[in-house]
Amino acid sequence: MWKFIVRRLVITFPQIILLSVLVFIMAQMMPGDALSGMIDPNIDPAAIEKQRENLGLNDPWHERYVDWVGGLLQGDLGESFRFKMEVTELVEQRLINSFWLGVATLFFTYLIAIPLGIISGRWNDTWGDQLITGYTYIGFATPLFIFALVMLWVFGFQLQWFPTGGSVEPGLTPGSFDYVWSKFQHLLLPALSLALIATVNTVQYLRSEIVDTKQKDFIITARAKGASESRVYNRHIFRNSLLPIAAFFGFEITGLIGGTVFVEQIFGYPGMGLLFMESILLRDYTVVIAVVLLFGIASILGALISDIILSLVDPRIRIK
Amino acid sequence: MKKISFSKALFALMLILLLALAACSGGSDDEGSGDSGSDDAGTEEGTDEGTDEGEEGDSEAAEGEDGLYSIEDFSTDKTNEGEAIEGGTLQYGLVTDTAFEGTLNWNFYSGTYDAEILGWFGESLLSNDDKYRYTNDGAATYEVSDDNRTFTFTIKDNVNWHDGEPVTAEDWAFSFEVIGDPEYTGVRYGADFTNIEGMEAYNAGEADSISGIEVVDEKTLKITYIKASPSLLTGGIWPYAMPKHIFGDIPVAEMDSSPEVRENPIGFGPFKVESIVPGESVTMVKNEDYWQGEPKLDGVTVKVVNPSTVVQAFETGEVDAVDSFPADQYPDNADMSNVEFLGMIDLAYTYIGFKLGTWDSENAEVVMDDSKKMSDVNLRRAMWYAVDNDAVGKNFYNGLRWNATTLIPPSHPEYHDETIETPTYDPEEAKRILDEAGYVDTNGDGMRENPEGEELVINFASMSGGDTAEPLANYYIQSWNAVGLDVQLLDGRLQEFNTFYDRVGQSGEDDPAVDIYQGAWGVGYDVNPQGLYGHKALFNFPRYESEENTALLEDGVSEESFDVEHRKQVYSDWQKLMVEEIPVFPTLYRSLLAPVNNRVQNYSIAVDFNALHEIAVTEEEPIAAE
Repeated sequence: MWKFIVRRLVITFPQIILLSVLVFIMAQMMPGDALSGMIDPNIDPAAIEKQRENLGLNDPWHERYVDWVGGLLQGDLGESFRFKMEVTELVEQRLINSFWLGVATLFFTYLIAIPLGIISGRWNDTWGDQLITGYTYIGFATPLFIFALVMLWVFGFQLQWFPTGGSVEPGLTPGSFDYVWSKFQHLLLPALSLALIATVNTVQYLRSEIVDTKQKDFIITARAKGASESRVYNRHIFRNSLLPIAAFFGFEITGLIGGTVFVEQIFGYPGMGLLFMESILLRDYTVVIAVVLLFGIASILGALISDIILSLVDPRIRIK
Repeated sequence: MKKISFSKALFALMLILLLALAACSGGSDDEGSGDSGSDDAGTEEGTDEGTDEGEEGDSEAAEGEDGLYSIEDFSTDKTNEGEAIEGGTLQYGLVTDTAFEGTLNWNFYSGTYDAEILGWFGESLLSNDDKYRYTNDGAATYEVSDDNRTFTFTIKDNVNWHDGEPVTAEDWAFSFEVIGDPEYTGVRYGADFTNIEGMEAYNAGEADSISGIEVVDEKTLKITYIKASPSLLTGGIWPYAMPKHIFGDIPVAEMDSSPEVRENPIGFGPFKVESIVPGESVTMVKNEDYWQGEPKLDGVTVKVVNPSTVVQAFETGEVDAVDSFPADQYPDNADMSNVEFLGMIDLAYTYIGFKLGTWDSENAEVVMDDSKKMSDVNLRRAMWYAVDNDAVGKNFYNGLRWNATTLIPPSHPEYHDETIETPTYDPEEAKRILDEAGYVDTNGDGMRENPEGEELVINFASMSGGDTAEPLANYYIQSWNAVGLDVQLLDGRLQEFNTFYDRVGQSGEDDPAVDIYQGAWGVGYDVNPQGLYGHKALFNFPRYESEENTALLEDGVSEESFDVEHRKQVYSDWQKLMVEEIPVFPTLYRSLLAPVNNRVQNYSIAVDFNALHEIAVTEEEPIAAE
């Protein structure tokens, strides 16, 4: 087992290095730079050119890459051109927001998926099942960025149950109960919007697992032995079906990253997704690179977690 | 059985085709909408990157004449209704889908949203009148010497920083020292500063102080400029002080990332910053010690509002006012019951530019090239005649943009010359001019060739962003096609913002493939167009110059032009020259709309409004729409 994990980690490193090079080159290839938005006759072009020089924007990419890796090894991701602050500090600010959004989303995802999956699998082909599968198909078909907007409009503006933007009410003291409560309130709607869409995969997955397991020989055996229906479902089927879902967990994290980009923008929730979008649009290279790298690492780690869980629950796929 | 599987296969195939079709039509995303963050403060000359253009104009054309609006029907001042209450908090929205940067200091900020926030707590020492000229009503008064080069400023006695320390001449001088410092990290250092005596020596590290800036006493500052210019009076003097008792010990290179800029910014304006949620909101409370008197509001909350939900935010009373409102949403919401729409003529214009030369980076100047496709002024004039800008304004913008005439927009009524006749839509005239100039169709393909008989294909660069960008570009192309000119979209598509300006020449390396382009400029308080059309100006994208042009532009900032009548004449002549030479032609002037909640009193978007402390509200919470 450990051998497997170590081997997997060893493969991960070149992946991350390759990713960083790719990201760096691609960032370089984008037209314009952080200063090209300042087309303003009141600003002396010479002043802008001086800034470019200071920021090293005129150096060839490989030199900048070496500089950047050098900084990275010392835990220094450079400075954001736009925010004029350390990227590490900026990312830290945003990462906390995104982390809680992620946790809440995962929580809701499973909170919705597990009961729905079980109902739909256990009583498959009933009207209840049809309703649930109907929901999952709609979920598959609905683009997240439309859905989130609709949610915001209905629950945020029409019913006014939730705050409509930002991550916290202005003017509260960090650390106070009101502050935490307000953070939680601001988190709910984006997390729910994400979860309602993200959950459909898991519902379908769980349903088909249960339907599949129901017909397995050991279940028939259990029934033949006289196990009660609830015992059959809770002890035998549910447990067996849940294992692949656990394995799916890692990929869920990866999927979340894509989702947050949309949702954070719609809800004006300053997390990593929003930071990613705006830094690309405004050519804030240092931030783009740092964020993409973090996303990349998160994805690779997510896949790793999935692999590990899978190999734990299913010895067949373990690499020899 | 076989039949069923065939029909299933057919169904699957249809689905796949459907998907393929759907994927093909997904081309028009809202690229560039994030660029709004890099737009410059509205008060300065800056770019308009077509982003707000992008957000404008749905299909209001169907409404016909009834659906049209005119900027003349809008007031810049809020009408007051009811009785104001004591205190209350104003909710102010920054309409953006990006977070604000949070560089909250005049010397270092670069984003327009930071400038909006700064406006509430960090005041300018000099106020200006409706003609954008500095007045003596602000926190400081000024006197000009006889040779118009030396300015003596006196800061009023009761002007104090938020921490109670008085604002001194020393603080103001310090501001110049920081910007002039070789280590300075912002972008403000430019012609306005190098024009101060001794500034360049100080910037080069050759002098310990700036010889042209003299602190006379605690409240009096004297600045001597090298060259007198009327532009100094309209934004050419840096009017922002920087508290030396706070920043004095911080190295200049580290100032922009210091907590004094990012977390506890300070000013002497009517409100002071209480807390900041990075990128999201700023909470401010009133500054009881404000020099114009105690503000009527208890405080102001500035927060980011997403452009796609700004209308809902107004309807539910989440915000009282915003920094900018997407004009295309106005027709649908004109009768919103809980707000009043204020409006004014925007300091901007949209234009079509013709590439007439190249940029010589070595000498930093424009070089005209007579062999360019667009070098013939008759061709340019015909192209102006060929387009119906009035119709564009009505159909795309409900009349909230309208046909532009000269390159000085009516937002500067003093200098905008209404009497100048400019080409307006007349396709027959366009054809006549082209015929006379020798642009005729010689090979029978329906498109005109140039006088030498060679095929003439004109490449048109236009920026992407939003729904109207593409139809608008197509409209212009069709109009030119209609008079027989073969105009094609550069590369067959719209250009993304950064690519567009790279190719048009923001770095001086113009793409020779671009023949004409559509751009927009915001104009500054100062009417001087030298930064856009001077022969030393990088942003002179058409790369046009002529002796007369240079002479007029020089005259406009000369000492004689301190005489307003003289300056008016100079700029009138210049506007005429531009209509004759047509390096660019303006297409549309724009309006600026600002909804304000009914509970707000004494609010104004006028340029000479300097009474934020007078703003009051009539109810505790913003009024919601019925």
